[in-house]
Amino acid sequence: MALGLALVCLQQEQSLVRLLRVLTVAGSFIVAALLTQVDSEDRDHLLLPAVSLIAGIGVVFLWRLNPEFASRQIIWMLMGSALMILVYYLVDDVRDLGRYKYTAGIGAVLLMVATMIWGQEKGGARLWLNIADIVSFQPGELAKILMCLFLAGYVADKGDLIRSQSRDSDLLASAALRHMGPLLLVVAFSLAVFVLLRDLGAAMLFFGLFVAVSYLASGRKRYAVVMLVLFAAGTVAAYYSFPHVSRRMQAWLIPDADPYGTGHQILQVLFGLAAGGIGGVGFGKGFPDSLPAAETDAILAVIAEEVGLLGAVGLMLLFLFVAYRTFAIAWQSKDRFGALLAANLGIVFALQTLVIAGGLLRLIPLTGITLPFVSYGGSSVVVNFIALGLVLTVSRDCRPAIGRRAVPRATDNDARERLPERFVAGNGAAPSR
Amino acid sequence: MQELADSIRRLAVWPLAGFIVICLTLTYWQVAAAPQLNNAKENNRSERMRRRVEPGQLLTRDGLVILDAKKGDKGWERVYADTQAFCHLTGYNGRSGLQKSLSDVFYAQGAYAHPLEDLLRGGDVGNNVYLTIDSGLQQRAHRLMRGRCGAVIAMDPRDGALLTLYSSPTYDAAAVTASEDAYNVFVYDPQKPEINRSLQGMYPPGSVFKIFTAAAAIDAGISGPDAKLHCAGTERIAGTVVKCRRGSGHGDLTLQWALADSCNIAFAKLGDELGPGRFRQYVKQFHLLDAANLPLPTAVGRMADFKGFKGDMQLVEASYGQGATLITPLSIARLTATIARGGEVIQPCLVDHVESPGGTGLAHGQGKVLGRAVSEETAQAVAGMMRAVVEDGTGSVANLRGLKVAAKTGSAQNPSGDPHAWFTCFAPYEQPTVVVTVLVENGGSGAEGAGPIAVDILQAAVASRPQR
Repeated sequence: MALGLALVCLQQEQSLVRLLRVLTVAGSFIVAALLTQVDSEDRDHLLLPAVSLIAGIGVVFLWRLNPEFASRQIIWMLMGSALMILVYYLVDDVRDLGRYKYTAGIGAVLLMVATMIWGQEKGGARLWLNIADIVSFQPGELAKILMCLFLAGYVADKGDLIRSQSRDSDLLASAALRHMGPLLLVVAFSLAVFVLLRDLGAAMLFFGLFVAVSYLASGRKRYAVVMLVLFAAGTVAAYYSFPHVSRRMQAWLIPDADPYGTGHQILQVLFGLAAGGIGGVGFGKGFPDSLPAAETDAILAVIAEEVGLLGAVGLMLLFLFVAYRTFAIAWQSKDRFGALLAANLGIVFALQTLVIAGGLLRLIPLTGITLPFVSYGGSSVVVNFIALGLVLTVSRDCRPAIGRRAVPRATDNDARERLPERFVAGNGAAPSR
Repeated sequence: MQELADSIRRLAVWPLAGFIVICLTLTYWQVAAAPQLNNAKENNRSERMRRRVEPGQLLTRDGLVILDAKKGDKGWERVYADTQAFCHLTGYNGRSGLQKSLSDVFYAQGAYAHPLEDLLRGGDVGNNVYLTIDSGLQQRAHRLMRGRCGAVIAMDPRDGALLTLYSSPTYDAAAVTASEDAYNVFVYDPQKPEINRSLQGMYPPGSVFKIFTAAAAIDAGISGPDAKLHCAGTERIAGTVVKCRRGSGHGDLTLQWALADSCNIAFAKLGDELGPGRFRQYVKQFHLLDAANLPLPTAVGRMADFKGFKGDMQLVEASYGQGATLITPLSIARLTATIARGGEVIQPCLVDHVESPGGTGLAHGQGKVLGRAVSEETAQAVAGMMRAVVEDGTGSVANLRGLKVAAKTGSAQNPSGDPHAWFTCFAPYEQPTVVVTVLVENGGSGAEGAGPIAVDILQAAVASRPQR
């Protein structure tokens, strides 16, 4: 990646300062890889390189759009990878996080309520929270991780109950429903909030997450089917009751009806894709200024235009690989909570990619949502790196028994008490147990 | 635990399937649906892409830039020559003229060229096009035609190179491109300045068509320069009354004198004798009605659809260039060139060569002979008769000291008022280097309305063209 960026720098005849900044990011990935390498036997070794490749491609294209975007994105990526490393080392055993499931769930709900009350509106949706007018971030991004934690913790505890009771013959076994109840409540609430905030992309994401979790919890498809039917009904209802929903649906179904208004974005995206063809028009030769939100929502269209079908499919394969590795970590996990956490994060990652890509490709209505690790945006980048840190932690702590990690966890130990000791042990060396 | 792992495995299939769907949809939009999207009317990408390429210049053979390019706020834009003399060649707004027909050359097909090609070619710079047009002659025609409607064509009969291709009235291509008001005035102008009269103007040829009838009759062996004919002033031929320009008639006369003094009755009789079959055959051999293969829109000539029987009155009218016959000035220029170069029909050409950014000139096929219309002897006989037109007949305006000109005048009757004045000529008589055809709409008699203009252009052109 460093080499690629250096080449881009030379091609664009940018200043040496920028080159150094790029090398800093590349270096930070290498440092992160080395740091997590230290206790390396069990950890996944493929995720981080794949993600840094994706993030590197993102920076290159942000640079091409506006070097200023790339500079800021690089700073956020540095912050994100610092937090990723912090998560990796501070969380001594990912299984400890299961205990904070209710804290996480309530935290997610509170974040969204805060957004509803104090949120700033940008681009038609109230997603931004200002803290002391200095930092503004999207709490919805952080709520994603917290929700994954909550759902993983809850299902890890109650999953067996739900699973056994849902084997009853009636469609929605009342006993199973009792245990699913809190889940339903939290998710329904967050869905409602996102719909009210007009963040339809996030609403889709949360809903998809919940459908998946209900399947993992029960091992039954019928919940998922019921959910999807409800979703379809909800969509139809929203189409008729919310004008902004119906506008967006119309832009999706018949963009030609208003080519310079509601249909403008999707039409321009499709024109960009068509211009790209198989090989692309060439790096820096497309017309991203025709695409509204080129640096955030529509960045995939910019990439597909300039490096063509080959480049876009290549990028999608990288995403597919990251999703696959995350799921593989989940199903290889020896711990229920770890497995569920990795699976949930994997679902969110994959769904987010599919929702924005599907939106740009006119498979589903276009919603404002970021392409993980690629789109410009601090909240998204930082949170995605934290999620990556969590997945790496799961891979470290919950992999099949090879070495010392297989030892039964000491349930009476508090993770927080062990933290200092771990750092004293020196640079992430394996803690003595 | 194993149950959960299996559930995760089964669940993971769905997102993975989703990625496959995404890749297939990408393929659909970027490959299958791409041509349709690229041509959508709301899609301005090709236009914007085009503005990035520095288009090549359009130059005359002597190197005058008549269509240039400059970089504006919105990318590359066209800059037109100061004079209006070249407007029908350049066209306006990229939508007409050579701008449109040669756009692939000007933009080097570069609008969607592969980046690698750009690298090899050295950037987005188009090709320069050099025309066969002589800027001095073209501007001279512009000056001479001021206040008149019509066309001026000068052509080298040896290789078909068009030295002048001028149509009047002209328009300000820069203003029409830049301003909507100017454009509206331009398109609704009753004189129709948009039409390139030299290629698209359809006119009755009148007496200049007698060159053809004479050549066909001599080549068919039914007449000769000294063959005897009779004109009674007004005669009834094949059921139609033909009047000669001399009311009392010419009496007995030779074919040469009939052409020199432009006797309608003599040619009406010749056409009647030729008959429709042979007449049509020679029209075909002279490529009289064919569109010229030029990178500009060219009209196809029109002639009455006389059937295969003798004594057709439409054929009689066509023989002296009236009736339903409509023809472009370029066709008359080519007819004259055919006589000048000894009976071979030459393909007119407008583009001399193309210069690519690397500097290498890409040669363009010139001097293509389409076929033989009449024998060399016939052509020489007709040329001699055209010389007589200048020496003794209606074309005395071209009787110059120091330059032997052969010519034919025409005053074509038409429904819009005064006759259209034609003058077509070539020089030097022995070894022709230039053919000039001038048409002035409602210009009266050919000798007075078009003759002086043609002679002026012819003298200047001959002076500028080297003998080979």
